[in-house]
Amino acid sequence: MKRSHIIAILIIAVAIAALVGSLYDSSTYADLEQAMAHPGKEYHVVGVLDRSQAIVYEPSQNASLTQFSMVDLKGRTCTVMLHKAKPQDLERSERLVLIGEADENGNFHARDMLMKCPSKYNEENKVTGV
Amino acid sequence: MNDTIAYVGEHAWAGTLGHVLTSLSFGGAFLSLLAYFTGAFRGEQGLNGLGRIGFRLHTAAVFGIIGLLFVMLLKHWFEFDYVWKHSNTAMPLRYILSCFWEGQEGSFLLWTFWHVVLGNILLRRAGEWEAPVMTVFALVQAFLATMLLGVWIGDVRVGSSPFLLIRELPENLGLPWTQLPDYLTKIPQFADGRGLNPLLQNYWMTIHPPTLFLGFAATLVPFAYAIAGLWKRQYSAWIGPALPWTFFGVMVLGVGILMGGAWAYEALSFGGFWAWDPVENASLVPWLTLVGAGHLMLVNKRKGTSLFTTLFLTLLTFILVLYSTFLTRSGVLGDTSVHSFTGEGMLPGLLLFLLSFIMLSVAMLNEQWEQRRFYLLISGMMLVLGAALQVQVAAIVLFAITSVVMLVVGYRTSPFHLRPVKINYDIGSSDLRSEGVAKLEQVILFMKSNPDLLVEVVGHTDNVGDAKINEKLSAQRANVVCDAIVAKGGNGRQLVAIGLGSLKPIAPNTTEDGRSRNRRVEITAREENVWSREFWLFIGALVLVLSAAQITFSTSVPVFNLLLEPFGHVFGWLADKTGIELFKDLSQAKLAPPGDAKAHYNKWQIPFAFIVALLVAIGQFLSYKDTDMKRFGKRIGLHALIALALTVLGVVLLDYKAADLNLIALYFATAFAAVANAGYLVQVLKGKWDGWGPSVAHVGFALVLLGALISTSRQQEISRNLQGPDLRLLNEGFDNGTDMLLYKGDTMRMGPHFVTFTGRRQEGVNLHFDMDYLAAVPSAYVPGDTVRVRNSLFRAKAAHTASIDFLKDLGAGLWEELENYPRRALWHAERWGSYRPGAREFALEPFVQLNPRFGNVAEPSTRHWLTRDLYTHIRYAKLDGGDTSDYMPPRTFEKKLGESIVTPTSIIRMDSLRTVRDSVTRAVLGPEFTAYSLRVNVCDVYDSTRCFEARPVLITRFGEPVASKGFELPELKMRLDLKGVKGDTVVLDVSEREFVILQAIVFPGINILWVGCVLMALGTFMAVRQRIRRRPATA
Repeated sequence: MKRSHIIAILIIAVAIAALVGSLYDSSTYADLEQAMAHPGKEYHVVGVLDRSQAIVYEPSQNASLTQFSMVDLKGRTCTVMLHKAKPQDLERSERLVLIGEADENGNFHARDMLMKCPSKYNEENKVTGV
Repeated sequence: MNDTIAYVGEHAWAGTLGHVLTSLSFGGAFLSLLAYFTGAFRGEQGLNGLGRIGFRLHTAAVFGIIGLLFVMLLKHWFEFDYVWKHSNTAMPLRYILSCFWEGQEGSFLLWTFWHVVLGNILLRRAGEWEAPVMTVFALVQAFLATMLLGVWIGDVRVGSSPFLLIRELPENLGLPWTQLPDYLTKIPQFADGRGLNPLLQNYWMTIHPPTLFLGFAATLVPFAYAIAGLWKRQYSAWIGPALPWTFFGVMVLGVGILMGGAWAYEALSFGGFWAWDPVENASLVPWLTLVGAGHLMLVNKRKGTSLFTTLFLTLLTFILVLYSTFLTRSGVLGDTSVHSFTGEGMLPGLLLFLLSFIMLSVAMLNEQWEQRRFYLLISGMMLVLGAALQVQVAAIVLFAITSVVMLVVGYRTSPFHLRPVKINYDIGSSDLRSEGVAKLEQVILFMKSNPDLLVEVVGHTDNVGDAKINEKLSAQRANVVCDAIVAKGGNGRQLVAIGLGSLKPIAPNTTEDGRSRNRRVEITAREENVWSREFWLFIGALVLVLSAAQITFSTSVPVFNLLLEPFGHVFGWLADKTGIELFKDLSQAKLAPPGDAKAHYNKWQIPFAFIVALLVAIGQFLSYKDTDMKRFGKRIGLHALIALALTVLGVVLLDYKAADLNLIALYFATAFAAVANAGYLVQVLKGKWDGWGPSVAHVGFALVLLGALISTSRQQEISRNLQGPDLRLLNEGFDNGTDMLLYKGDTMRMGPHFVTFTGRRQEGVNLHFDMDYLAAVPSAYVPGDTVRVRNSLFRAKAAHTASIDFLKDLGAGLWEELENYPRRALWHAERWGSYRPGAREFALEPFVQLNPRFGNVAEPSTRHWLTRDLYTHIRYAKLDGGDTSDYMPPRTFEKKLGESIVTPTSIIRMDSLRTVRDSVTRAVLGPEFTAYSLRVNVCDVYDSTRCFEARPVLITRFGEPVASKGFELPELKMRLDLKGVKGDTVVLDVSEREFVILQAIVFPGINILWVGCVLMALGTFMAVRQRIRRRPATA
């Protein structure tokens, strides 16, 4: 076998390993039902802040815990423990993406959270008229 | 339709002019494209004049568009959508540039602008390459111009114009207010624009995008030359003029990417300079392939090898630029990136742009016209049918498969690749049969296309007869072939004839069939030597491609969901059959990016970076063609030893463990690369300044990697969450977190410092938080000092400096425990600490930019030292700049007497309410007033011995509250205000003392990264400069 063939095979093997490995590393978008069914497995859950429930942030007790309630896109609600300080604009958020896992008690523990705020990226920049 | 209405105060002419200019820009580019294409197709220069006119027209139009947009922004003509969305009157003038390219249209303009600048330079300098190169430029410009057209063709909008009036927006057409002639004054929203996203109001933002886009634009030059080279069959001549541009692109794009990192580090509270955000990745990937392409160009220029890979990487780089544009602007990234654009209907146009250039590249890499036509026809048909039949995804998947297949076919049939040729012979004969002669054609084509490469002609025989005679016969067979090649016009110097006799049979010599197959001549391209620079540069380029592929793959996860969706049931079936979880995930088409992006990318990229760094270390010491290994070992050995010593030092200083083997390996490789390249400057180049560029750039690259490695692997969050129960006591795996609560005026220990939050001040829209950092000095105690440790008091017996552990000092007899003391003495006693705050060292003032429209943005403040940075940012704070009280906003409770309020820190019991109706109060206030005094008992949640009494007072008039006098409890950091009384129910406001939540991170060695950036840019600049100077001599 020629050297170029060995290199080609090696490169292809590494490429496939990297791609499949990356695929295994990737997380999954899920709704709350799926996340609750697999406690301990990491998911991305998309939803909106449930404004009927209070956002609890007691920094004098724990500065790295924010508790609130989220409604997922299918309308299911759950309590979210965000293990971070309360984001400044949480109340204004339009859409949340939680990254984390559910526990046995039906709470969702988010390690991280992406927030889309209205008008942050021009979505609602509209003149409404009068 | 609004012709009849004369709008007051509108600058509609600017919109009209803008539309004319955008059409003109497209028209100019299109004219230029037609002229140059025809000229290049016919191989004549005669049409270049027309092409130039077209391109200059395009240039003028683009400059006009940019000038007009600036005027609109400067004059605040808010009737225009773009101006209204991206600027306002309050904004400082220096951010007008940021406004210009904040939006989709503006950033396309910026990109177009750089293409125009580069195109005009090429008009003067491209010479004989002008027609084909400018054809590609004009094609790209025509595409980009359509992105700004904003015209409707049927139901499809082509591009998006920055010159649209708000009343012309599709969603506003026909609304009643658009019929008002004086709508600009009547509707208050037109008085001011929305302003600039506060994230972008930063000096980095004024220089980062232009640099990055210049880097992107620079990748078009080598792309255009590569297409031109393939088109005009000048397979390697294009490399000379393209080479300086390629490294110019490497420099500018590299600087642009690192500026983005600096921006993230200095201004965004990302907690670092690189977050593997999709938008960051999208700019890094083309840089990686461009570096690979540039190095292969160098190899090819010297040795003529790897031409197909060189072409492929050059074309791929520009395709990746288009792909990154597609990813970040079409909206496909959706939820996965914090700073991508929203789609705004650009997806079809961008996709068409991308696919067209993939088609062009793959077609050009197929050398034969029949293949090109076949591929263009098939792939074009797929896309058209896909669009027409609404099965776009399937069409794109098929298109991708076809393109990959045709790429392989292109490689196999390309003149840069010699498929091994076998020629068979009659027994004992060395005469070429006619079918053998025919096979020589492709060998000659290969030799002519690759004048620097060697071709091996190896003769073989069967095993019949004497070995010596066979060897002679085999050599003769090889020689005859060589002669035949030379006779047909091949260059004899490229041929190596070898006779191997019967040593290497390919079939058993036991049958006649086998023997006839063994009687042969094999013609192959000679492979480069393993110990040659070209071989390892080629390997390095491949590793860069792998690295780029992995990043692209993980970043493209949202795209896969779109592609997977139609195939859901296929993967569902596979999942049912195999039970593999991955197939189930694929079938749902709901893949998300890796949850922990940093860990994911580091896992894959550290090994790639390791190999690349090792190659950077040895590359310059390897010779082209063949390396004297003894000399190589001698030269490189010392550098390796120094690097090893540095690694040992680093492992000790930075406390790397055995589990960090990948980090240690990368540390060694980058240190090796830096040392070896610095050594190369000293040993080999000495005073030859001209040749310093590459080595300096390599040292810089190594230092960037090393600095990134040290600062990210050993970044230390020194802020600690000290509130509430210590979670670390519960379990080793628990982390309290790094969000630290700091009350105003309190001084707390943080890493090697003490920190005090002294106050807030508002300057314009920025709310600054003053953080004083104090030195931590060891506590010194003198006899008689009293300190508190938990719930006991101790008195010093001797003068001493505290150790780090109180029990140790107690054991040494330095302290004695006190027995009888009032409880109050316990509360007031100072707590024991091994360090106490010393002199003020420096101050940091992280701030929050208040922006009610876009949301507030916290910006960090960083203290720089030579060896480390301290980075501090606000995570949570009171943001009402007008509220100057020392308390946080209150929480209101309504309780009956006798009930208690439980807060996280205290229990507040409503004891009794006294109505003050004595004669003095009545005489002073009048009979309609009533004063209430509430007695409350407040206890610390964590320390039941700490209880205090508070008496907030409320005065009412006819039962309505008119004045309130709060009661402060400094010991418990709170204030109580009585806000109302209704019978035995009281309304009580509880306010906590003002605090901030902050995070502080130490980044060690970050300056290595910035020094590396500067060296890399400088070195590349030197190399480019030298290439440009040397070119006229060698060309």
